[in-house]
Parts: sequence; C-alpha cells; structure tokens
Amino acid sequence: MCGTTARNAQNVGTAFVQIWANKGRSILTTLGIIIAVSSIITVVSLVDGFGRYLTDMLRGYGTQYMVVRPHTPPALRRAGMSRVTLDMRDVEAVRTECKDVRRITPFVYSQVEVGYAGESAEDVPVRGVTEQYQTIRNFFVDAGRFFGPVDVENGTYVCVLGRTLLKSLECDESIIGEHLLIGDARFHVLGLLETKGSVFGDDQDNTIMIPYTTALKMWPENRDSVMFLAEATDESYVDGAQAQITRVLRQRHGIQPGNPSDFRVDRQDQEIKQFEKVRDVATGMLSGIVSISLLVGGIGIMNVMLVSVTERTREIGLRKSVGGRRRDILLQFLTEAVVLCTVGGGVGITLGYVATNIASLHPAMVEVHVSPWSVALGLGFSAGAGIVFGIIPAFKAAILHPIDALRHE
Amino acid sequence: MSEHADDQVIELIDVEKIYRVGTEIVRALRGVSLSIAENEYVAIMGPSGSGKSTMMNILGCLDIPSLGKYLLGGKDVSKLSQSRLARIRGTKIGFVFQTFELLPRTTALKNVQLPMMYALARHKKQRAMAALERVNLADRAAHRPNQLSGGQKQRVAIARALAQEPDIILADEPTGNLDSKTGEEIMDVFDTLHSEGQTIIVVTHEEEIAARCRRVIRLRDGSIASDERHEPADQDTRGPGVRAGAGSESPRVAVS
Repeated sequence: MCGTTARNAQNVGTAFVQIWANKGRSILTTLGIIIAVSSIITVVSLVDGFGRYLTDMLRGYGTQYMVVRPHTPPALRRAGMSRVTLDMRDVEAVRTECKDVRRITPFVYSQVEVGYAGESAEDVPVRGVTEQYQTIRNFFVDAGRFFGPVDVENGTYVCVLGRTLLKSLECDESIIGEHLLIGDARFHVLGLLETKGSVFGDDQDNTIMIPYTTALKMWPENRDSVMFLAEATDESYVDGAQAQITRVLRQRHGIQPGNPSDFRVDRQDQEIKQFEKVRDVATGMLSGIVSISLLVGGIGIMNVMLVSVTERTREIGLRKSVGGRRRDILLQFLTEAVVLCTVGGGVGITLGYVATNIASLHPAMVEVHVSPWSVALGLGFSAGAGIVFGIIPAFKAAILHPIDALRHE
Repeated sequence: MSEHADDQVIELIDVEKIYRVGTEIVRALRGVSLSIAENEYVAIMGPSGSGKSTMMNILGCLDIPSLGKYLLGGKDVSKLSQSRLARIRGTKIGFVFQTFELLPRTTALKNVQLPMMYALARHKKQRAMAALERVNLADRAAHRPNQLSGGQKQRVAIARALAQEPDIILADEPTGNLDSKTGEEIMDVFDTLHSEGQTIIVVTHEEEIAARCRRVIRLRDGSIASDERHEPADQDTRGPGVRAGAGSESPRVAVS
C-alpha cells in the first residue's frame, strides 16, 4: 500500500529530524558504530589484499605439483633405523608407472660459493633439475636460454642464474656466454631467470640452476636421497597423482600396509590451503575484536534510544492518541535506531575507505581494495546493530500506556 | 436516557471504572450513564478527584470501562483491543490538549497531517490545508511550533483534531495554558465549529469556559451531580471576540 510506504518514509524523515536536532549526541552515540564499521572495512580490505597477494604468488609457482622427499617416520627414527633412500630408479618408476603425473624432475639441492670476475657470493642455493622444472614451477628464463635435455643427459657444466644472484655478483646480462665458478667447477652461463620475488622472506631469485646429472656428479652423496617434483596432468588430478606416487614408492620400498612411508609428498595446493587456514584464523580473531567494538557501539545506541524514548514520552502519548498503534510506535523508534546506526555505518565506511587508501600509500604495501562485499558487510552489521539494540527501547516506547505517556512530566 | 437513539454520538451505560492503587481500590466512576447527541456542545466539569479525567479518558477511548458499556456512534467500544482503540482514536476522536502537544521542529501542516499518517489516508496535504483554513491558520502552514504564539499553537492542535473529520472533538482544558483573551479566541473557534455541526466536549474547571457551552455536566465523586442544558451565556457581557466567534461568520457547512 502506498500509505505504508509514505509512513515508512515519514519514519525515516522523523529519524533524520531527530538526529539533526541532537547533532552532538548523535555523533557521540554513533562513534562506536563508526569505529566498528571503519575497522571492519579496513581489516577486511587489508586481509583480503594480503590474501590475494600471497595466493596469487603461490599460484604463480604452480599448484599442480608435489614435492616428494625422503622422510624418516618418527617411529623408525626412534628405532634407530634412520637410513631411508630415494634414488633415480624411484624417480624413473614414478615417471613410467603414474599415469596422472605429467611432468617430473629430480631435485638436487645444495648451497655453495659462487664466484665470477673477482666477485663471489656465499651459500648460494644451487638446484639440480631438468628442463621440465621451468614448466612445473612456472619459472622461466627471460634472457638467454634454459639448458636442454641433451645437457641433462650429458651432465654438462651449464647454468642459469637468478636476478638477485646476478646483483650479488655485480654484473649484468653480459654474463650470458661467460663462465663462472660454482664451488670449484667452471660453468657456462646460458641464461637468466625472470624475477619472482620472495615467498615468506625466501628470495626466489637468489638461485642458480644446473642439470641434476651435473649436480649428482658434484655431490655424489645425494644419489640415494634425491628429491623430486611431480606435476599432475590437471589440478583435479593432484589427489590421484599423489595416491599413485605413494603406491608406487611404498611398493618399491617394500613397506607393509599399516607401516608409515619413508618419504613425504608435499602438495602446493595444500600450502595454499594451509595459508588460507591461517588467514581465516586471523580474520576470525580480528572480527572478534571488531564485534566487541560493534557491541559497545550498539550499547551506546541502545542507551541513547532509551533516553530518547523517555524524553519523548509525551510525543509517544500524542502519537497514540491520534491513532498510532503499538506496532506504529515500535516501527518508528526501530527505524530511528536503524537510521542512526546506518548513518554511523556510512561514516564508518567512508573512514575505512580513507584508512585503506592511506595504508596503501606505503611503498611496501600490497595492493588493497575496499571490496563491495565489505561495504555491504559494514552496512549490514550497522543496520543489524540498529535492530538488535533498538528493539528494547522501541518496545519500551510501544507498550507505554497513552494516558500515562500524556501525563508524563 | 439509556435507550439508543440514532443521533446519539456517545452513550455511556452504567459505566464504572475501578483502579487498584497498591492495596487500595479506587472507584473513579460509579455507574455513570450519559448520552451526547450529534452537534452537542458539552462541558464536563468537576473538582479534582471527581472522575473528570477518567471520564475523558474513557470517552476518548484512551481507556476502557471496568464495567458497563460505551457506545460510540452506536458501536460498542468498551471491549476493544489496544490496537482497535488506537484506530478509533485516530478516525473518530479529535483530541485537543491543554499543552497543545505539537511535534517540535515539525511544520504546522505536518503536525496536522499526523493522524492521517496512522490512518493511511489519501490527499493528506489538501485535507490538512483545509483543516488549517478552518482555524484561520492557512498562512502559518509552513511555520514550526516555536514560530507560533500559544493561541496559534492551540489552533494548529484543533486543526489536527479536525483533520480526520472526527465524530467528536474532545478538548481537555484547552484554554488552561493560555491567557484569558487568547482562551476566548480558542473558544470562539469551538463556537464556530459547533455552528458548523461539530460535536464538541470540553473538559474544564473554568465556569466562564463552561458557560460558552450548551450543556454542562458536573461530576462529583464519580457520579453525575448535575446535567443542565442552557442557551449560550449572554454574549453582551463578554468581549468583542466572543460575538465575532459565536455568530456563524464562516460560510462553510459542517462536513462531519
């Protein structure tokens, strides 16, 4: 009915008149809501921004691959049987028998000194891999070339460098085609890797990559504890591929059902899930803090609405005497509480938006946006607080007896 | 007095009102029977504690009798729920209070529209303007209460009472907060409304006000002590304002 709409509009109008008539009180009252909502906006935006940044970055390294490494189960470690092996024959078996594994590369890791033209860098992570590694890790060269299958087969002394290492050695792209020293061996530089940045403080660009065959020649002690990276044919096949790898390796290592495996399969998508779990916990804790301020703000609203009802008792009496029913009075005061809260929410959203934008000015800050749903959340929460904390004062107004209300001094 | 006649707007039949104040039982009205016909102009008088306020509350459907019947326009309203009583107050009764009870920061026009908001009425603005014209305040429609004099405020309140074209206007000490000259102006407005056919009940303790009415009901200890009809008091002894109001200057014909 158009009349109902008109009355609701009238209620909202009355609410604004009341807010305006008590400007100072309204501002102080809504301060709690303002703070709560601006915190919601800021916190949600920041967590969201960081989350997207990290997820994107992890995804950038590929989510379809698993890292398989030798691992002594705690039970065996206690039994003193710490020798576990994972060698190239295992890698070959996985390559041939696991149908959901698309790409595979052994991964031989060491940290050594690297020297070039009088400059040197200590403890440089050296990765012995195959050319497949680029695709699995989504980590390509952007100058020169990566080594090929022939280099891997022959175990040639060739390498590609990360950009951070290049900087440590104080040289530029002219290094391509030159020779540098890894440990005691001379390596031919084939190319330079694209910049990847760092994950959790781990600089991905401080690296050097060589064929794994060459790496095994340099560090033969790694022959029976080779790690490898295996990529599933599709993101949805990661589970299947993991199961296949586990089955093949347990069979090869002769592990009885029920006994723990002597290797570990770490999945990248699990890392994202793990991170998301951490993020959710953080969000939960922050929302807890925010909801406390919302509670405090709501109590402020309730308090001022109770005061308002007492102050306007005669008005309530009048409204009842000219035909206002209980539900009309209830709706009027509820509308006022909701309008008060929503106005506070609107101010809070503006402040949160400003705070988020100020935060994003910091040079080390990730890209953050105020997402529409956080605005909706803020408005929803503030309007909800209006209803929750406005209902008691509104009810108190509604049940007033018109005679008593009109006689109120 | 208790038999129903068609032109009776109000009929109270053996109405009792009993309050419980702590352990004490107060019989505010003790079996009151009363009829008020259409276009009557009634004063209800009585000392404090006589049941005058209780009577007004019941007549105004702000309260219901403990015993007995109240027929308003032939309809029994003595057993209605709060919500139905509110609806009846909004459509059939126009209240005028001693302290005006206008909404602050709200224009005269909006104040007059208030009863219509609750009744979901149409053409609110036109009807509110018409009501303001009847009290000669159309030119103050956009003024807020703090920009109006006491008499003007009470006239806005009367316009608000008229807005829904009620069966009765119920005025509770309408001149109590006004000086005597302004009070007479307000009574002039009532005289005019009466001459236009409006039923008016004025609760008052002032003899001069009661003298302006055509019928005076006096209450004492919760019962009707006297009920007298008379022609309006001799107008020659009164101020010029009275004569102006008592004569039906307004060409408007009663609508209700």
